[in-house]
Amino acid sequence: MFYRLSGVRHNSYASDSKMFNIPADRNATVFFLLLGLAAPFVIPSLYLNSYVLPWLIWTAAALGLNLVTGWAGQLHLGYAAVMAVGAYSAVHAAKFGVPWEFALLIGGLASSVIGSLFAFTALRVKGLYLALTTLAMQFVMDWVLTHSPAIAGGSHASLQAPTFALLGQKITSDAGLYYVAFGWCVLVTIFMLNLKRTGLGRALVAVREKDFAAAILGVNSFYYKVVAFAASAFIAGITGALLVATFYFLAAPEQFTVSVSIQVLAMVIIGGLGSIIGSYFGAALILLMPGVVNQIFGWLANMLGLELGIETFAHIPNAAYGALIIIFLMVEPLGLGKLYANIRDYLMIWPFDQLKK
Amino acid sequence: MTKVKPTGGAEAPVLECIGVERRFGGLVAVTGVDLAIQRGEIFGLVGPNGSGKTTLTNAITGFYPPNVGRIKLDGKDITGTAPHKVAGMGVARTFQNLALFNGMSVLDNILLGRHIHMNPGIVRTALYWWLARPQEIANREVVEEVIDFLQLESIRHELVDGIPIGLKKRVELARALVAEPHLLILDEPMAGMNQEEKEYMARFILDARAERGVSVLLIEHHMDVITGICDKVLALNYGEMIATGNPQDVIKDPRVIEAYIGGSHGE
Repeated sequence: MFYRLSGVRHNSYASDSKMFNIPADRNATVFFLLLGLAAPFVIPSLYLNSYVLPWLIWTAAALGLNLVTGWAGQLHLGYAAVMAVGAYSAVHAAKFGVPWEFALLIGGLASSVIGSLFAFTALRVKGLYLALTTLAMQFVMDWVLTHSPAIAGGSHASLQAPTFALLGQKITSDAGLYYVAFGWCVLVTIFMLNLKRTGLGRALVAVREKDFAAAILGVNSFYYKVVAFAASAFIAGITGALLVATFYFLAAPEQFTVSVSIQVLAMVIIGGLGSIIGSYFGAALILLMPGVVNQIFGWLANMLGLELGIETFAHIPNAAYGALIIIFLMVEPLGLGKLYANIRDYLMIWPFDQLKK
Repeated sequence: MTKVKPTGGAEAPVLECIGVERRFGGLVAVTGVDLAIQRGEIFGLVGPNGSGKTTLTNAITGFYPPNVGRIKLDGKDITGTAPHKVAGMGVARTFQNLALFNGMSVLDNILLGRHIHMNPGIVRTALYWWLARPQEIANREVVEEVIDFLQLESIRHELVDGIPIGLKKRVELARALVAEPHLLILDEPMAGMNQEEKEYMARFILDARAERGVSVLLIEHHMDVITGICDKVLALNYGEMIATGNPQDVIKDPRVIEAYIGGSHGE
């Protein structure tokens, strides 16, 4: 009913390989795109820049990690370290007087180089050992940031980012910064959507599923794993730089610690490995849910006239938030993206379910 | 339908194994195997379980390079070449225990067979409309031809996880065929099939040879298939060649019969 398949007939391979080959999907996407463009006029700027903007940036980050973990199937626990490389390189470049466009590019390339150099050594091991090696990368990066004043200014120091500017225009308004984050998130999403329908995406899935079968089809699995690490690091680097440029405004080592890596991984896993819309859901859940749960509990306590101690009040929402993650994963281990896909597939031909094969 | 005749010794054999031996520690899985597959030939490889048939294919495709001996493809020495490079040289294979990629559609699985003709990359993916789409569509056309040939039209958009095993074997054959190989290695393509499915598969193999000119190395336990479609057969037992030649003679060879069903030891 909501996603009519009837009347959708592709008569060329070009039309069958469209990004959204069901009109209802395309229309929904256009609607949300317009909503995204209109957001600064609809949403109060406080909410826009403290909730929507970070959500979009973290979604871009989650999509980047999804590329390496969801598509290529390589567990990566050092993602925040890669973001840090991009953030610090870009901020230093911008401070040096490089225009921000190029500073972002430098950040992305620096991340890409370090990320793939790292992959060259890390990919000699597989599975859990790879996870541990990437974790080691995270700790090395933490150490470098806190112990090299030339980069981060030493521990507990922070690095002020120069005012963000594109094409020579300084961007300081809330709406302007929001559009930058929105634009980047859309670009990353388009890349991921293209990945889904090209040989690169198929090769990565092949490497993830059965590397021996991939090999006999001519897929060099080591090469494609490095490609996945490099592409993911490029996205991570620019995302890290934008996070600092549009949200934190200064770079500090605490923004890129191991807990951040785990958080992004949680976004990807709860959203669904290999699911693009799942990364949006996952980032929203991990990022916004603590605040929402807090509000709900505050409101409930008020309603019921409960006298909750500060201590209890601080811990209950955390527990509820943890429980929520567990419940979601129990209902659908493949993540929120799969949950969405189930509903979508159900509605695809509803109410003519008997047509389902 | 024109039948492609084996060319005989006029040109270099498609595949030549010379004294191939492969050991795993102290276990000699294959030893002293010589074989030559001529262009357009369907070459059967038979032998009881554990006789080294799959090890030999793994030696050819580079998964377990031989410890001794040479392997030549179209006259070129490929001994010890990595599997993904062997694929690029025109060898395609299917696996005994199916190696399709779950979570992908039948179409995407078969499209992966075109990988060696596509060379995908990041830039191509990012600039899809200009760099990837023409290539994707051209390769899709090749894939659709094979889908048509193997009668997989009705399931092309289904997830490969959910289709029956007979069709999975056919999808795997399609994936191997779209690579346009010179040499197709089929590892028990009819295992677990009923008579009708077996006949279909045999017909597909013959047609693939006739229409696409591939040479086939076929591992199979069904002797009716071996005698029905193979031009030449090699029988292995405990890693050693026990008989080779034309199928009718090989299956009558007393050593082959003994290897398969056990001889009368009193003789």
